[in-house]
Amino acid sequence: MTPGSRLKSFRSARSAHAHQLILLSSIMAARGHVQDPNDRRLRPIYDYLDNGNNKMAIQQADKLLKKHKDLHCAKVLKAIGLQRTGKQDEAFALAQEVAVLEPTDDNSLQALTILYREMHRPELVTKLYEAAVRKVPASEEYHSHLFMAYARVGEYKKMQQAGMALYKIVPKNPYYFWSVMSLVMQAISAQDEKLSQTMFLPLAERMVEKMVKEEKIEAEAEVQLYFMILERLGKYVEALEVVRGPLGEKLTSELQSRENKCMMLYRRLERWPECNALSSKLLLKNPDDWQFYLLYFDSLFHLIDQSWTPPQEGDHSAEGEVHASVSQTISFMEDRIATEEAKESKHLRGPYLARLELIRRLRERSCPEAQQLGEPLELMFQFFVKFGDKPCCITDLKIFLDLLAPDQHVQFINRLMEAVPLGSPGEDGFAFPGDTRALQRHLCVTQLSRGLGQQHLLNTEGKLGLIRELKAHYRHGLQFGKSCLKTELQFSDMYCLMAAHVYIDLWIETGDQSMLWQCLGLLEEGLSHSSSNAQFKLLLLLLYCRLGAFEPVVDLYSSLDAKHVQHDTIGYLLTRYAESLGQFAAASQSCNFSLRFFHSNQKDTSEYIIQAYKYGAFEKIPEFIAFRNRLNHSLHFAQVRTERMLLDLFLEADISSPLEESVKSMSLCPEEDDIPWDNLRDNRDLTVLVSWDPKDRQLNEEHQQRSLEDETLWLRLRSLTLRLIGCVSALNHPRATRNSEKTTENGVAAKPSSLQPLLSQLENTLNQATQFTEKQTQGQYPFLGPVASRLTQALSSGCCHCQLSSLQLPLHLQELETAGLDESTELQTQISNLFKSLAVQLQDILEKCKGDLIEVKDGQNKTQEFLLENLVYFVETVCIVLWVSNYCGSVLRPLKSSLQKKKKKKKEASSVTPPVLSAYQEFSGSLQSLLNQALELIKSQELSLTALKLGELSLEGQTQSEAEGTFTKTAIDKVQSSYLRSLQEIGELLKKRADTLKSLKI
Amino acid sequence: MTTVRAFTCDDLFKFNNINLDPLTETYGIPFYLQYLAHWPEYFIVAEAPGGELMGYIMGKAEGSVAREEWHGHVTALSVAPEFRRLGLAAKLMEMLEEISERKGGFFVDLFVRVSNQVAVNMYKQLGYSVYRTVIEYYSASNGEPDEDAYDMRKALSRDTEKKSIIPLPHPVRPEDIE
Repeated sequence: MTPGSRLKSFRSARSAHAHQLILLSSIMAARGHVQDPNDRRLRPIYDYLDNGNNKMAIQQADKLLKKHKDLHCAKVLKAIGLQRTGKQDEAFALAQEVAVLEPTDDNSLQALTILYREMHRPELVTKLYEAAVRKVPASEEYHSHLFMAYARVGEYKKMQQAGMALYKIVPKNPYYFWSVMSLVMQAISAQDEKLSQTMFLPLAERMVEKMVKEEKIEAEAEVQLYFMILERLGKYVEALEVVRGPLGEKLTSELQSRENKCMMLYRRLERWPECNALSSKLLLKNPDDWQFYLLYFDSLFHLIDQSWTPPQEGDHSAEGEVHASVSQTISFMEDRIATEEAKESKHLRGPYLARLELIRRLRERSCPEAQQLGEPLELMFQFFVKFGDKPCCITDLKIFLDLLAPDQHVQFINRLMEAVPLGSPGEDGFAFPGDTRALQRHLCVTQLSRGLGQQHLLNTEGKLGLIRELKAHYRHGLQFGKSCLKTELQFSDMYCLMAAHVYIDLWIETGDQSMLWQCLGLLEEGLSHSSSNAQFKLLLLLLYCRLGAFEPVVDLYSSLDAKHVQHDTIGYLLTRYAESLGQFAAASQSCNFSLRFFHSNQKDTSEYIIQAYKYGAFEKIPEFIAFRNRLNHSLHFAQVRTERMLLDLFLEADISSPLEESVKSMSLCPEEDDIPWDNLRDNRDLTVLVSWDPKDRQLNEEHQQRSLEDETLWLRLRSLTLRLIGCVSALNHPRATRNSEKTTENGVAAKPSSLQPLLSQLENTLNQATQFTEKQTQGQYPFLGPVASRLTQALSSGCCHCQLSSLQLPLHLQELETAGLDESTELQTQISNLFKSLAVQLQDILEKCKGDLIEVKDGQNKTQEFLLENLVYFVETVCIVLWVSNYCGSVLRPLKSSLQKKKKKKKEASSVTPPVLSAYQEFSGSLQSLLNQALELIKSQELSLTALKLGELSLEGQTQSEAEGTFTKTAIDKVQSSYLRSLQEIGELLKKRADTLKSLKI
Repeated sequence: MTTVRAFTCDDLFKFNNINLDPLTETYGIPFYLQYLAHWPEYFIVAEAPGGELMGYIMGKAEGSVAREEWHGHVTALSVAPEFRRLGLAAKLMEMLEEISERKGGFFVDLFVRVSNQVAVNMYKQLGYSVYRTVIEYYSASNGEPDEDAYDMRKALSRDTEKKSIIPLPHPVRPEDIE
């Protein structure tokens, strides 16, 4: 390590034990050379634990404890073994036996820390070390552990004190600055901004100033922290002095750190002369750095608006010469371009694009000087000549397309085409590029023409012609990539993708589904030549989902190798459809991928917040905390959490285990709403699919906003439904509470009172949702943007209202339970009507499932994937209705039997069954017949799907080559197979549900 | 034409266009956070004017000074397909080298799959040479054999005699490297 490193003193301050302990045995390794006899005794237990042999670890610990009763650490290690074998309660009790003794031996403390972390009880670690420092007040090590324990749970005030206590024992700078940072964290987390500004931050500032005065500042991290404090206090002038002064010399780790900080401060302080001078200086150094062009132009116009004039004498500004007029700026830009022009190779794009940016800004201000810089069409043409063979040329130019007048578009594209070297046209009339550079140029023009909306203007014939041309270019271009590795893309892949986009345009415009089949075939063909192309996979995935075929999606998604944070950003592609299409096993799995990621986040991020303290990366601490929140508040997280629980219930509750047990095992608490509705973060990457569409067809903020609202409403419905199911399960066994205290903690025992408020919330949300979907029909999302949530389809299937009606039943049944059968004629009629209406509603949903999934008309096949989705809604609703009916049965059963007893006593001859009982029996009969009908329907759908000879049908009347036909056939086969699988899974679940019908008997 | 800046946590939500590349690994959150907490200056991202992320480099400084092994290490370097052939990787490497120079490192090193010829050639052009081969450094998941890595190095100015890059005569095993 060299002097001046930002980490220097921070790293050396780290105690030997402060490593994140991954392996237990490292506790001992870290303890150095002195061998304690206890260490020797404990060693085998550590090893067993590290190797995952928990059973042996427990045995070994027991053996050791027989001989050495007071070897506390052995107890803790045993507890770890127990915890890891799922015996949480036992583990906790054992650990507490040691904890109450307030141990001060290192082995026990470290082991307990690990145990508590694994138990997700980091707050207990703080108690542990609070006791330890009380007993051994001079221990640097324990104090430092205490600080970190506080950091893990975000106890900022206590951290501040712990940091100072540490500094008093060992006056090392990092400890002092840990304390300062804890003050900053108090400021950041304070609800009251005033408190931050008048108390925490000024205190932090004074603490640093004291060190500055005493000339005790050592490390870069300390200056960074000082800067952070001043910035948060809005003391930009002071901050500037620090950065530009001797302390600023310590800011060396990050490149250009001082310049970047100065620039930020000049902007905040609106010191436009300095901002202007510094940005032009930095641009001279690096004429490709876009951010400084923006600042250079911003500052220019501010200076003009302020009528700034240079001082009579001396420098223009603290940063040197200022360009305060348009003419100076134009000449600066021209110099930059001249410099580039003089170069033989490796031209930078920055100066050329910045010139276009300057034109845009001058035009916005109606400055006539804009013309001096040249005509955008010409300049963009020149840019294309220079950089047209770079794949990013389209990304570069697309942001300046609006500089062209609409009537220049055709001229522009024609002009560019002149600069594309193509061979002479072949038989088909298409001329092809001779090498990859020419190909890239041609591709760029094609992309620009799409970006200008020219492709959208074509009629159907024109679009079909365009597709032919794009496909020809695609296939022609494959020859250049013959030696490409599997991991590389083909040079001409983007033609294929664009042809797919045009197919989609046609499909949307004409509704002709054969366009979609051909599109799928083309993409499958593309993927066969370029197996790593993520864009092909993503679009295929989207299209198969739209067609209701989830089976092929599983492989496509897994071949994307999406991991970790990508589950949050693109996991929605998978979870949106899996369940709604009836592929329950895949749905569970895809929720699990995401959930596993989110659950590890909380623990993981805390560790790195601690690391950031250790290494003095103070600016990262608030960033990590914000990041943790962003993940915890993720919309997708809330969705998969909710859907996973619903799915488990649909698949298992009352099939493999009773409903209340399923609810209990997932710690579902109906009274508790664990979704942060006001802070939901939409982390979906909605632009992951490439699009060259014109601006007015691209995803915009309004779409994103609407999609978030859409998804949130759906989530609200689902979460309320879930909580209501929880309520119903609690009604089944109202005595579940008495078992143990823990059960109440898990919230199995719902107070009956939560049913009513949840029902009215569900009703309100349903109203909102209906309004939303009515409003929503006006504007669709871009095809490549977000997909609509399940809301619209669910509402139109009728399942939402049917579920609501069924969940209302328990309220009335509760009433009946109190009133008894004798005095409740009106109530009974009400309930009977509800039963009848439920049966009708269910029948209505089922009617909407009828039809063939693939319909053959005029030799073409048309999918009716909505039937699948409706079937799933039917099944879900059946599940809920059955759970509710089960409860109804449990209320009616004792009523009926007491009635029979009474009858026996009175020996009455005439026996009129109370209406509610007969209605219930009738209802369970209807359920039976509904389920039979549904099973029949599924069977017939399966049969007619299997009977279809799809491949032959699809090709009739199409202009596909044989090879193309094969790929299209593959796609159709995949869809067919997927439908069959969905039907099979749905059918199996329905059968299992039908088997539970007998339990409804009273 | 690029804005080069420090990589932040929020960039993890936007880097799909870079990371969906088959040779770019998406690591677990702890891995990124560890680098951000420990070597934030070594984690740099390039952003296009439209806001798209173009590429990033992630690295660290490690090794013993006494043994003249203190060096900069490139952990990950990736550029999105559409922003290739612009010299961006070279620019990011240059920055990492500059940071390592400032820290007084003796050399910069990196590991690369022996099969990744494109990358190997690019590093050679940037002045890197193969220091040693590490046997079965990359473990394969789908039943294919594990792959060897080249450990490539470039000497920095502190290593005046370029001692750090003299190639080892024999390949080494992963457990033998630090």
